[in-house]
Amino acid sequence: MKRSRIPLFTTIAVLVFFYLPIFVLILHSFNASRFSGSWEGFSLHWYMRLFTEREIWHALRNTLIVAASTTVVSVILGTTAAFALHRYSGRLQRGHYTLIYTPLVVPDILMGMSLLLFFVAIGMSLGLFTIFLAHTSFCVSYVAMVVLARLQDFDFSVIEAARDLGANWWTAAWRVLLPLLAPGIAAGGLLAFTLSIDDFVITFFVTGPGATTLPIQIYSMIKHGAPPLINALSTILLLVTFIIIWLVQQLSESGRKDEHV
Amino acid sequence: MFRYVAALFMVAGLLTGCGERKPVLHVYNWADYMKPSLVRQFEEEFNCRVVIDTFDSNEAMYARLRAGASGYDVIFPSTYMVQIMQEQGMLQPLNPDLIPNTAHLDPAYQEMAADADCTHAVPYMISNAGLAYRADSVEDVKPSWAMLDRTDLRGRMTMLDDMRETIGAALKYLGYSLNTRNVEELEEARDVVIRWKRNLAKFENEQYKNGIASGEFLLVHGYNGDIMQVMEENEHVVYIVPEEGVSIALDEMVIPVDARQVELAHAFINFLHRPEVAAENTEYVFFLCPNAAAYELIDDELLNDPSINLEPEILARSEVIEDLGEDNRLYTAVWDEIKAAR
Amino acid sequence: MHLRKPSITEWLITLPSLIWLFILFLIPTLIVFAIAFKPPDPWGGIGSGWTLDTLRSLANPNYPPIVYRTIGLSIGTTVICLSLALPTGYAIARAPAKWRRILLLLIVIPFWTSFLIRIFAWKVLLHPDGHLKQFLVFLRLADEQSMLLYRPEAVLLVMVYTLLPFAVLPLYAASEKFDFRLLEAARDLGATPWRAFREVFIPGVRRGLLTAVLMVFIPALGSYIIPDLVGGPRSEMVGNKIAQRTFVDRNLPHASALSAGLTLAVMAPMLVVLMLQGRRRDALET
Repeated sequence: MKRSRIPLFTTIAVLVFFYLPIFVLILHSFNASRFSGSWEGFSLHWYMRLFTEREIWHALRNTLIVAASTTVVSVILGTTAAFALHRYSGRLQRGHYTLIYTPLVVPDILMGMSLLLFFVAIGMSLGLFTIFLAHTSFCVSYVAMVVLARLQDFDFSVIEAARDLGANWWTAAWRVLLPLLAPGIAAGGLLAFTLSIDDFVITFFVTGPGATTLPIQIYSMIKHGAPPLINALSTILLLVTFIIIWLVQQLSESGRKDEHV
Repeated sequence: MFRYVAALFMVAGLLTGCGERKPVLHVYNWADYMKPSLVRQFEEEFNCRVVIDTFDSNEAMYARLRAGASGYDVIFPSTYMVQIMQEQGMLQPLNPDLIPNTAHLDPAYQEMAADADCTHAVPYMISNAGLAYRADSVEDVKPSWAMLDRTDLRGRMTMLDDMRETIGAALKYLGYSLNTRNVEELEEARDVVIRWKRNLAKFENEQYKNGIASGEFLLVHGYNGDIMQVMEENEHVVYIVPEEGVSIALDEMVIPVDARQVELAHAFINFLHRPEVAAENTEYVFFLCPNAAAYELIDDELLNDPSINLEPEILARSEVIEDLGEDNRLYTAVWDEIKAAR
Repeated sequence: MHLRKPSITEWLITLPSLIWLFILFLIPTLIVFAIAFKPPDPWGGIGSGWTLDTLRSLANPNYPPIVYRTIGLSIGTTVICLSLALPTGYAIARAPAKWRRILLLLIVIPFWTSFLIRIFAWKVLLHPDGHLKQFLVFLRLADEQSMLLYRPEAVLLVMVYTLLPFAVLPLYAASEKFDFRLLEAARDLGATPWRAFREVFIPGVRRGLLTAVLMVFIPALGSYIIPDLVGGPRSEMVGNKIAQRTFVDRNLPHASALSAGLTLAVMAPMLVVLMLQGRRRDALET
């Protein structure tokens, strides 16, 4: 029996659709023309210019500070939350689950708006710290969900074995469960890190004087900067993303091999 | 995993470690409104760091401040916004001893300023908002707001996303004052803007500069200096001052009450009015700094350019945007109807 | 559900995240609803006293076109995303194992790249002097003067582009669990491929379909940046209005009222889907 080819063609079309704009962007980053319409020859000029743009480096620094602190705090909060959700049930955990699940589906703009009003209401001055608070608030939910999913696949007989050997629940959790869950926690942390680095809308609402992150900088460059400069910056960021994805793939691959040994 | 986190912290630590000791001056200004090398010069001379955030309309700047953005040291609002901020008690009085260079101010423009003796605000630059077009694609150009009715340019034109400027342009086109409080005149202007809107690609405050340079837009409504910065790089772009009259804005420098670097802020204002700095700045941003001592240092051709120094009969028909207090609501309501119209 | 008091350990590991989200998620959301009942003062502050005027002003004739446009564009995005994601999820699930991994990775990579940069890429591609336009002119599908950007269609296109991975992934996950022998059985019984797809496959991946609808429709309702960057004067959405009220008109009560309305609009489809999924689970269990 012959299978329809429509799904295959749709998939190919979807992939072309996904990569065409990215490809054009990379191509144009080597365009000598200042205005991104026509092609005027190959040039690395825009990459050189990037290194002298102080604002970009300043924004990158802010982005990394926020992302690193967000990752650490949301990993701690998210992991404990996942443990609580997994180990206990009852009314408290049902409320807890709702509170963790809802931020995942609320659109960014609503979260940004409500946090802005909150910070204004309590008179907190806006800056990197409020960005960190806002980012952690949505990252906790993502980390909790990722870790919870790992916990649900987890074979708890190891814990039972440890407890049979005389360890109490906490020792067993700390010495046995946590190391085994490390890949899940790392995946949650990586997700939190990338979400924080990429967030624009929420940051735009709660940012203050001088607290420019990379997405905010890119936005203002799109608004009034030189387009080829953004192309070059985008290409570098894409390259970094590809390298990170490749590294993560390699790490998880070697992890899988270790398990077989 | 913990190793990665530790590494991240080290990176963050390294990045924060450098040069944080210097005082930081937070400036809130319009985009492309100051020569970057002058900012560097100020940083070296006063051993500090200047961080500039930008806004694209007076309303956006004011709303940001109202929505909790505190800690700016110098802000650049236009005259009518200075009046609002002053009434709201958001500005601190300036210390005249720290800004001796205000002696160079051109008295002709001082009349336009929010306060003529610089108690709260010092004039920075004069601008006007007119039209620019691509000479290589647009024919039969008339120096008039009626250009926005040209259906052959449909989808390739932009107007400012700024209610006072854009409704003001329509009011001038109809021959009314752009500070009118007359509801019928405003309704007439509203219908004109809605008619123009059908021909527009966008209401836009910043992207129009790149847009007209790259040929994406063929006719844009924008500020004279911004357009002249584009013209410097692209010979096809031409600025025109509509003969019905335009809005003239005087942007001023103020220090908000919650500023942290008050002394440095005064130094910055004073620095920008050094005649040689003011002249260099004007020659870069193409807006006129009303500093009489600087005029002698500026190229005559630039100084007498009709898009910087308006011709007398157009000047007579032009106006400065004023604060309307409670009647601001009339403009907000009209602007909403414009935005919602098909 | 048996009633029992939470133990100290339970409180200990529940409280950190509970308190954090209570203060930084629940309270801010409630503040939005509260401020919607406050009057604005003309200088950008929040007035004193309580009023229904702000809510009443939502009935103002300037809002419905924006609300309809928001809903229309979101439904359009969801429909297009689903019609592309269904066959794609199906094709990936049926691909050989080696290819499946590569295809999945290829779908996920755009999701990992910067959101703003993906939007900017379309601005470059749709530029009036760009390659796509020249190609369309060559095909006589467009003329020299036509504009691809700054129209609702451009907003729709870019929304589909950014949200499509969120539709493909749940549909792939559902397809992977689907027993494809059912399709073959349907074909053996004489069904056309299209009929088998429609009447056997689609009901089979219903849960994935519902998740995909949520993952696309809800963020689409809250769009703000896409209409801001690639939309024109006729593509404003509710998100843009909220931002305008907050950052330009200095009218926080109005922005709050709009946000509160949007929150309710977002919760409605979520509840419907949760109920549908719940009913299905009940049906399976009995």
